[in-house]
Amino acid sequence: MVDVLPTALIFFAAAALVLVLPRSVRAPVLLIAPVLAAWQVWTIPEGQLVIWSLMGLELELMRVDKLSRIFALIFSLAAFLGNLYAWHVRDPVQQVAALLYAGSAIGAVFAGDLISLFLYWEGTAIASVFLIWARRTEGAYHTGMRYLIVQIASGVILLAGAALYWRETGSLTFEAMTLGSPATWCIFIAFGIKAAFPLLHNWLQDAYPAATVTGTVILSAFTTKLAIYALARGFAGTEILIYIGAIMTLFPIFYAVIENDLRRVLAYSLNNQLGFMVVGIGIGTELALNGTAAHAFSHILYKALLFMSVGAVLFRTGTAKGSELGGLYKTMPLTMIFCVVGAASISAFPLFSGFISKSLILSASAKEHYDYIWAILLFASAGVFHHSGIKIPYFAFFAHDSGLRPKEAPTHMLLAMGLTAFLCIFIGAYPAPLYALLPYDVVYVPYTTTHVITQLQLLLFSALAFTVLMRTQIYPPELRSINLDTDVTYRKFMPGVITLVALGLSRIWQQQTSFWMRKLNLIVGGLYRTHGPEGRMARVWPTGSMVLWIAILLGVTLLVNFFS
Amino acid sequence: MTDRPTEDPSTFSPLARLFLWCDDPAKVNRLVYGLYAVCGLLAIVDFLYTKKVYLAIEKVPGFYPFYGFFMCAALVICAKGMRLFLMRDEDYYAPRDTDSEAIPEDQLDRTEHNG
Repeated sequence: MVDVLPTALIFFAAAALVLVLPRSVRAPVLLIAPVLAAWQVWTIPEGQLVIWSLMGLELELMRVDKLSRIFALIFSLAAFLGNLYAWHVRDPVQQVAALLYAGSAIGAVFAGDLISLFLYWEGTAIASVFLIWARRTEGAYHTGMRYLIVQIASGVILLAGAALYWRETGSLTFEAMTLGSPATWCIFIAFGIKAAFPLLHNWLQDAYPAATVTGTVILSAFTTKLAIYALARGFAGTEILIYIGAIMTLFPIFYAVIENDLRRVLAYSLNNQLGFMVVGIGIGTELALNGTAAHAFSHILYKALLFMSVGAVLFRTGTAKGSELGGLYKTMPLTMIFCVVGAASISAFPLFSGFISKSLILSASAKEHYDYIWAILLFASAGVFHHSGIKIPYFAFFAHDSGLRPKEAPTHMLLAMGLTAFLCIFIGAYPAPLYALLPYDVVYVPYTTTHVITQLQLLLFSALAFTVLMRTQIYPPELRSINLDTDVTYRKFMPGVITLVALGLSRIWQQQTSFWMRKLNLIVGGLYRTHGPEGRMARVWPTGSMVLWIAILLGVTLLVNFFS
Repeated sequence: MTDRPTEDPSTFSPLARLFLWCDDPAKVNRLVYGLYAVCGLLAIVDFLYTKKVYLAIEKVPGFYPFYGFFMCAALVICAKGMRLFLMRDEDYYAPRDTDSEAIPEDQLDRTEHNG
């Protein structure tokens, strides 16, 4: 056993430091911690490096292998870029939350047993909610509460699963499992909630657009990709994931087309991208799992880039709504260019990062002859280009001129976006370093004539469809509105049903009790009439009634004496 | 379209001025014709090379262009239809939601372009 410090502790120590340091030197700490963590993750050897004993349990805090290493590395990178983007933030709540959140996510990735996984799992939930509450509005408070309830529920189900798993197998090691027993189902559902499975997804679209400008960028990286890692570790090759993933790629794109809040559009497209990764895990071949890891890596970068560019617009204009924006390229050209790079990457244009990662999953599905799944993924790929690739840059920076002339994003935001954009292009143009990090050896060549041409055909004809629909004015305009999703069940329907049931029950209760209440009132009224201040008995009141009661008491005593 | 018809484009950065053609309908038309031409070319290219693919359907000439265009058109039209029964006012969940709320000004930096 090598004596190393668990990577998560670097972030926790930095968070403690931020609390005591003066305001002006906190931001550099937020950048140094991820760099140190990345360096450690890059250099430590593979194996079970740290085992702590706690109340008779062995906690494996540092299980390093290729799968955990690539996720820890991208999490460190995302923390660095997110914190650079948030350089201007002076709110210690957000700074500490960002560090604890990143640390917990990396801790969970390295956790080798279900108990430490649970502890870090809940850590991400609790730390991240402060990025929503830090907005400090009534709406953000309620949204944060909803988010927290869902996230904690996921943790509690995971703990229940871990306990059942221990009873079943006598082990708490977090390793590949077979879905079937209540234990594994609990763990599967806990992962599924955080991975935003269909019908369990809406916390994501609800919460992410409610966070602060910089909070959303940080939120977008960790929670869901941690769940993807956990699924890849625990349930690789579980066939049901293929179908769950396919549905995940499909339905969010419809919502993304009609959604007005551009940060929520990105949240829907995040959900859709997770679907690709879930399909990869479900297929479970080496090619597919490589695809999932590679896609998680490039996805975190381009999704952060897109959230950063929309965040910069929000920071300068106070809104991220498509209906209020437009024409911003005139004064925010660099932000626009970075947004387009993010858009091209998520759309998987050749030479951009999505192209070299998503295609691994699509090829794996075709190779294993999941024809319909492949067709769905292809449709989802074209759809992504529609709502994230074209819609986001078009409605924010072009479309009709909103008359807004905000200043270009601040330097540190441009720097964060520039670095992320560079990485998106670098990985896309030269994928070898990323492929070398993947869990299995890569024999895949993304740049073939067929692949480049077919991808360009798919994307440009998708752009053609957008153009034709725009010109014929069939394309739905951006409107100030929201769209009902599954959250309507617990935000409107269920409270409505509870109110109705409560009303019905109270009516029945009233009917039942009113009869007896009337009787009781009659008795009380009668007594009041006879014994009240104006009553007949009151005339002889205190002496008369006292004599009467003494007579009764004496009589009772006499009877008791007589019979005993 | 703009509510600042008299503004001076020379105040924009040189980078931004490279994109000013986006406001000229004639030039946007040219871009659209360019897209039509590229799409036409890509459709023709389909017949000029041997595809190396996994599935039989991928070999059908014009599959990718056809799929890209019609599925996306269908996506938009279906999504537009969904609006009929899913769309609600922005304050539907208010005040327990952030949709109808502004972000507090102290978290923003609304500087004007020339400010």
